[in-house]
Amino acid sequence: MYRFQNIFKQIDFALLLPVIFLIITGLFTVYSATHITQASSQNYFSRQLFYAVIGVVLIFAVTFVPYKVIFDLSYLLYGVSLLLLILVLFIGIRGYGAERWLSLGAVKIQPSEFAKITTVLAVARYLSRNRRNINHISNLTVVFLMILIPFILIAKQPDLGTSLVFLALIIPMLYFAGISWFVLFVLVPPVITMVVSFNLYAYMVWILIITIILIFARQKLYLKILVFLQHILVGSLMPVLWNSLREYQKQRILTFLQPEKDPQGAGYQIIQSKVAIGSGGVWGKGYLQGSQSQLNFLPAHHTDFIFSVLGEERGFIGIFIVLTTFLFLFLYMLYLSNQVKSSFSRLALIGFTTILFFHTLVNISMTIGLAPVTGLPLPFLSYGGSFLLTSCLLIGISMNFSRNRFQP
Amino acid sequence: MNYWDRSFRTKRLIIFSSFIIFSFTILVLGFFNLQVLQREYYLQLSLHNVIRQVKLNPVRGLIYDSKNNLLVDNRPAFSAALIPAHTTKETIKKIADYFNIPVKNIIYRLRSAPRFRPVIIARDIEKKKLIYLAENQYFLPGLDIILDSKRYYPKDVNSPHIFGYIGEVNQKDQERDPRYELGDMIGKAGLERYYDTDLRGTKGIRYIRVDASGKELGDFNPQLNEPPIHGSDLYLTLDYDLQKFAESLMEDKRGSLVAIDVRSGGILAMVSNPDYDIRLLSGKIDPEIWRTLLQDESHPLYGRSIQSAYPPGSTYKIVTAIAALQDGIITPAWEAYCPGYFRLGRRIIRCWKIDGHGWLDLYGAIKNSCNVYFSKLGLKIGLKTWSKYSKLLGFGKRTGIDLPNENPGLIPTIEYFNKIYGENGWTKGNLANLAIGQGELLTTPLQIAQFAMILANRGLYHRPHLVDHIYNYQTQKTIYFPIQSKYVVGVSSEVFDVVREGMHQVVNGGTGWLGKVPGIDMAGKTGTAQNPHGDPHAWFMAFAPYYHPEVAIAVMVENAGSGGGVAAPIGRKFLEMYFYHKLIPRPVIKKDSLQVEPAINPIQSVPLDSLSPLPILNQPGTE
Repeated sequence: MYRFQNIFKQIDFALLLPVIFLIITGLFTVYSATHITQASSQNYFSRQLFYAVIGVVLIFAVTFVPYKVIFDLSYLLYGVSLLLLILVLFIGIRGYGAERWLSLGAVKIQPSEFAKITTVLAVARYLSRNRRNINHISNLTVVFLMILIPFILIAKQPDLGTSLVFLALIIPMLYFAGISWFVLFVLVPPVITMVVSFNLYAYMVWILIITIILIFARQKLYLKILVFLQHILVGSLMPVLWNSLREYQKQRILTFLQPEKDPQGAGYQIIQSKVAIGSGGVWGKGYLQGSQSQLNFLPAHHTDFIFSVLGEERGFIGIFIVLTTFLFLFLYMLYLSNQVKSSFSRLALIGFTTILFFHTLVNISMTIGLAPVTGLPLPFLSYGGSFLLTSCLLIGISMNFSRNRFQP
Repeated sequence: MNYWDRSFRTKRLIIFSSFIIFSFTILVLGFFNLQVLQREYYLQLSLHNVIRQVKLNPVRGLIYDSKNNLLVDNRPAFSAALIPAHTTKETIKKIADYFNIPVKNIIYRLRSAPRFRPVIIARDIEKKKLIYLAENQYFLPGLDIILDSKRYYPKDVNSPHIFGYIGEVNQKDQERDPRYELGDMIGKAGLERYYDTDLRGTKGIRYIRVDASGKELGDFNPQLNEPPIHGSDLYLTLDYDLQKFAESLMEDKRGSLVAIDVRSGGILAMVSNPDYDIRLLSGKIDPEIWRTLLQDESHPLYGRSIQSAYPPGSTYKIVTAIAALQDGIITPAWEAYCPGYFRLGRRIIRCWKIDGHGWLDLYGAIKNSCNVYFSKLGLKIGLKTWSKYSKLLGFGKRTGIDLPNENPGLIPTIEYFNKIYGENGWTKGNLANLAIGQGELLTTPLQIAQFAMILANRGLYHRPHLVDHIYNYQTQKTIYFPIQSKYVVGVSSEVFDVVREGMHQVVNGGTGWLGKVPGIDMAGKTGTAQNPHGDPHAWFMAFAPYYHPEVAIAVMVENAGSGGGVAAPIGRKFLEMYFYHKLIPRPVIKKDSLQVEPAINPIQSVPLDSLSPLPILNQPGTE
């Protein structure tokens, strides 16, 4: 009895309960979205139920793995996932979208999902070691390589949505590892410069802003001048570089940035999604009553557009509850990252929060037309075993960190 | 500055948290905007402007003959359909009354279909009913009138066994090809079935706005619509004038006629009689008519040319001769004595000439179609060799013609006989029978025509086919099918020369003299196949001209009597039409003489161009 209470105490319910709530909501919504397509409906729901059960078991299993095992294995797992990513380029099976699968008999794995977790763990371990000074150029390079290698391998698949998750990891993880403002300033704005350089006016305004910031920055003069020159150079080289590309290369890049090649097709999806959500109103049309979602007008309405089904049937109230749950989960994970003693756990938690947050933000923004259609699933709600298991694994590790929060 | 300072961390945490909270606030505001502020707008859209996908049926591909005469066309047909989601009980009742369908039946069909997909209740509705329905559509919520098409055949076009018919897809078809959707009309037989994926075209999609009761409010966004794509047109190798003439030859007979262009394998004419009126199955199929056709004892639905297999009779002696010659068992000079019968144990095989042919060599045996000679020959070569050469010459397997349900025929082998009669349960009598084309051996008329093509080309033959090329509307290109040529490996040209010479004599004073076309040097072989169903089947196969063959033909008339007397004249008339485009008057034949003066009607007007050989491969056009 004492032992049982002990185990009970070690479970972080603030993490577990929101996740269970989201998974159950997801199961109901998947059922609603697919029950009309008769024959296969049972299939979708029961398959998702199957993965949900495995996912919850996985959460508990990982929670009670010794903390040291996770820390020790992190580099090894990272190496394995890189190997799998390389392997999948050669012997992978193409899925319905751009993602690729490795088929091991009856089991199919998506190495890119696995790589999200291992990359976070490996980077966290690297950054936490000996209190490295992240502002040092060599350490920075290593971290960049650790994230960019899986990024490039996945982008080559070519799975844009998933690869972007890796890019999104860079800033928060470096940020919490203690990168200085100025390094951040050197890293981020050139990307913006690249984009705005296509419009002369936007570019001029942007350079003006950069100049003002530089003037007030407390740095050595020659560094400021270097940064300024960097922006001028990037800005003036980009259009030249772009124009020197051949037409089909440009087209390829544009397609890469816009995975839905047919903008009208994607626009149509978003209109349908907005009609579904908007017509739900404050209270929603009621469970299984959504006329838009039932119309099968939303392709992938049980995967990418699951939130639209929820919005139509449960209304603003339902949406608000689910959004609040997500927000609570993320804020609690951040809070947890401040509570744990080990910097490995802390950085890993930051990485995990970023992964989940990025998926949630991009997916939900897409359903109301604030973001392009990228095909990123919504954690815990979207149909799909692979991503559900990844999310559960990630929560399991977080609960493990929570259990071992006083471990240095 | 200490980056690992707790307060420093907290500061960064607050910044990151603020960013997350900020993003969620924007999301919540976005949803608030859609679901609370703009709710009315979207609700209207969803309630009164439900967008529906309407499938537009493409026009089914047309079929032309080799001279670009239109053989199979389309006419519009309208179907009445109900959309389950919008249909009221009253509509169902009214429609049920109107079309005389039980209400239960309709409800059952609606229940088992997707909610927003129209379910076709009645096809090809009459004009009067159509007008009534269209006028009253407003009072019949859920009713949809769908533009479909049905087949239309110009006057004089029939040939149901070639074209086949179309019908509504059933579950089995859907399992075969998952692209078929409920309610689709698909090819069920003949060319319609074989080329269904080409003929059917691609469906178009139109997005329309409909109100809550399913009434159309117009296009949603015309730019999203996709037009249907016309199905590919078929251009046949068939010459329909010849086909019509061939059909007239077979009128009142049960049997089949197949003519192949030996230079390409293209079918020139293919008749199977009795047939049925192709228009009976062109639109909706009346169950009454269907049952009558199925139960008809003369089996009009059966395409005899490719689906029925018969014992080939004496035409098959050529196979026996080829086997014996090629394996070196005999030379053409090998002689046998025919006393009019052949005793084999307790069985007696009779020759058709009761007095016997006397001493015959191979040429004489072919010319006079001597049963005794070939029975003896059959015993000499044995079953194994006989089966081997039968298979080699294209029997016992499908020719691969572009029509469904081809019968492969049957070539008995040692294994087959062992299975049927038990080991050693079969005798030499079976073998002697096979050697003269009787017994278990079965061939289709098409296989015999193909065999005539093999003989005409001395071993070279092409896959028999009906479709020469198709025109694809999507790519706007004509697609030519390459001629698939094969070669009989293991039979030398000399062997072919011997049997060809024998067949040459058959029509020049032999059993097939009635098949001889004046002015055309040709070769043929008759057959009179005994069968348990009554009179023997009459066979005639031929190719012409002898030196530069153009056409091979096989004629089979069920239970009609002798091949030389019944089938050969039909073959002759067909070939006369092919070469001269008219029938040649016959000399009066004295009853007591088999010999006919060959040059009573000298003809000089052989069209020269018809004698020039075609190129083996069709060159794709450059249009």
